Amino acid sequence: MSTEITTADINVPGHVAVRRQIQPRRIELHVGVGLILAVVVACLVIPILDRTDPNALVALPLQPPSAEHPFGTDMVGRDVFIRVFTAGRLDIALAALGVLVPFISGTVIGTVVGASRRRLVDTVTMRLTDCVIAFPFVILVLVIVVIIGADTRIPLLPPGAASVLVAVWIVNWTTYARLARARTHVLRQEDFISAARLLGFSQARIVARHLLPSVWPTTATYAVADALVLVSLIAALPFLGAGIQPPTPEWGSIMYEGRGFLLQAWWISFTTAGVLLVLGTGVMLVVDALVSNPRRPRLP
Amino acid sequence: MLVVRTTFARALQIVIVGLFVTVGTNLLVRLVPGDPARAILGEKASPEVVRALRHELGLDQPVIQQIARSLGRLVQGDLGTSFGYRGQEVASLIGPGLGVTAGLAAVAIALSLVVGVPGGLWLALVRRTEADLIGRLGTTVLLALPSFMAALILLYFVSLKLGLAPAGGWAGSWPENARYVWLPALALTTYLGPLIARTVRQAALDAIGQPFVEAARARGVPRRRIVACHVLPNALLPVITLVGFNAGILVSGAVIVETVFAVPGLGSRLLQAMSTRDLPVMQGIALVTAVSIVLFNLLTDLLNIAVDPRIRRTH
Repeated sequence: MSTEITTADINVPGHVAVRRQIQPRRIELHVGVGLILAVVVACLVIPILDRTDPNALVALPLQPPSAEHPFGTDMVGRDVFIRVFTAGRLDIALAALGVLVPFISGTVIGTVVGASRRRLVDTVTMRLTDCVIAFPFVILVLVIVVIIGADTRIPLLPPGAASVLVAVWIVNWTTYARLARARTHVLRQEDFISAARLLGFSQARIVARHLLPSVWPTTATYAVADALVLVSLIAALPFLGAGIQPPTPEWGSIMYEGRGFLLQAWWISFTTAGVLLVLGTGVMLVVDALVSNPRRPRLP
Repeated sequence: MLVVRTTFARALQIVIVGLFVTVGTNLLVRLVPGDPARAILGEKASPEVVRALRHELGLDQPVIQQIARSLGRLVQGDLGTSFGYRGQEVASLIGPGLGVTAGLAAVAIALSLVVGVPGGLWLALVRRTEADLIGRLGTTVLLALPSFMAALILLYFVSLKLGLAPAGGWAGSWPENARYVWLPALALTTYLGPLIARTVRQAALDAIGQPFVEAARARGVPRRRIVACHVLPNALLPVITLVGFNAGILVSGAVIVETVFAVPGLGSRLLQAMSTRDLPVMQGIALVTAVSIVLFNLLTDLLNIAVDPRIRRTH
């Protein structure tokens, strides 16, 4: 009944309270990394090789896949193939940015809170994270997106990206903080931390040099799964009237636009979905491999 | 005693959720650089509308006073007034939607249990065979599939190609809704079902390795009875916590799937509120869903206490 989270019940898709006895899964890791790399490299290379403007009208609308346009054309005659892989750059970059900031801030906050001996700090942080976790992620993000407004911009990013990123940064550190805190509580019992205390090291030094190196592998595993959650979130937002504004190619908006043409042109939505699914399966396989064989922190 | 304490903890969480929404939005509104009312409404809004929103958000008052005012209203059960639908109470706007979304989520949970529990148990019983490998791979792919994509795929194949279900809509009353609800619910099942299957599989494998199963086998208890009476109850236990844990993700998925199937739930309300940047309605939806999820978590807590004697013993 406690609200503690341990590494065993990280809220990773497929891994709540799952503990494997089976030994490391090398194949899963390799296939997973391979699938992720395939999509990432395609997103990087294809827009360079084929310099067609993703917003250019290149052919008749709603043309089925052909040698010239492997994913067909959309309802106004843009090349879906180029759009999907150009969009991939944006989606993957946004997901990476969205994961990186909460990963760092959440891990640091959680470790500091976990190491702190003031109960009040701990209680307040935990109640706050409890509360954030009670909200459906998508709805909380949307509320923050509306408050921040669509006109706020971050340089280099298309309209609509800034509010989504900031919302994710505000919400997502909480899970990392909880995981880091739980891990810190385990580590606090270890001899090497007591030794550091006895040596008279400052709290800051213990956190930075002794705790964080053993805490971050735990939160990093979650970060991999979180990246997939974020890609899905960003792609889902156009369905709720938010997210990256068209005509900027983005996986969600391509699928959303294609939704109205499913019968005439399944390829608009489903080729995009296919690419996202390849990436997602890769991520899930890597998470499987990491969770079944969590990196043991090296103890001195 | 444990029941009282659990209920109290969840009640406290509801209070904190209410505080969080009120204080959080009020502070965030003021942290936004420039005129927040202008930021929310965009450049095209008329000055009168912006002024009205400034008043609605309490920007013409000190922040502490505004927070106190919103909290006072919240305590009285007043979620505020919609901005897009002038004069309409937020509570009356989102009430019907909440019922629809809750119904969809309930059907999705039921479907996931029907698919996931036998599926997971079967995977545990055929372990280390090709079927197990395919089953595991299948759950991995399904878990990687966002529910709105599952919804699009089901909409295309089941509804548009095969014509087995309406492409969207809602009947409005319960037995009739079944015709409309099963396809969106199935889309949500593609996430929760495999998750349950995996958990049941692992818990069943753990149970099969326990001495009491071996003892039962040694006593000559038939295999079928071992599975039904010794393995299954242990495999079901973690499912309660799992479903409670995933209530938030399920609601997140439900609101998106609703927009694909034009189901008039909270998702459709949210979509409307987004288009008019109707902050009070969105705030209301966030609050109502969070409180429902906490209440649902309370239910799973109590269920756990009821079915698992170990929890009662340790407290």
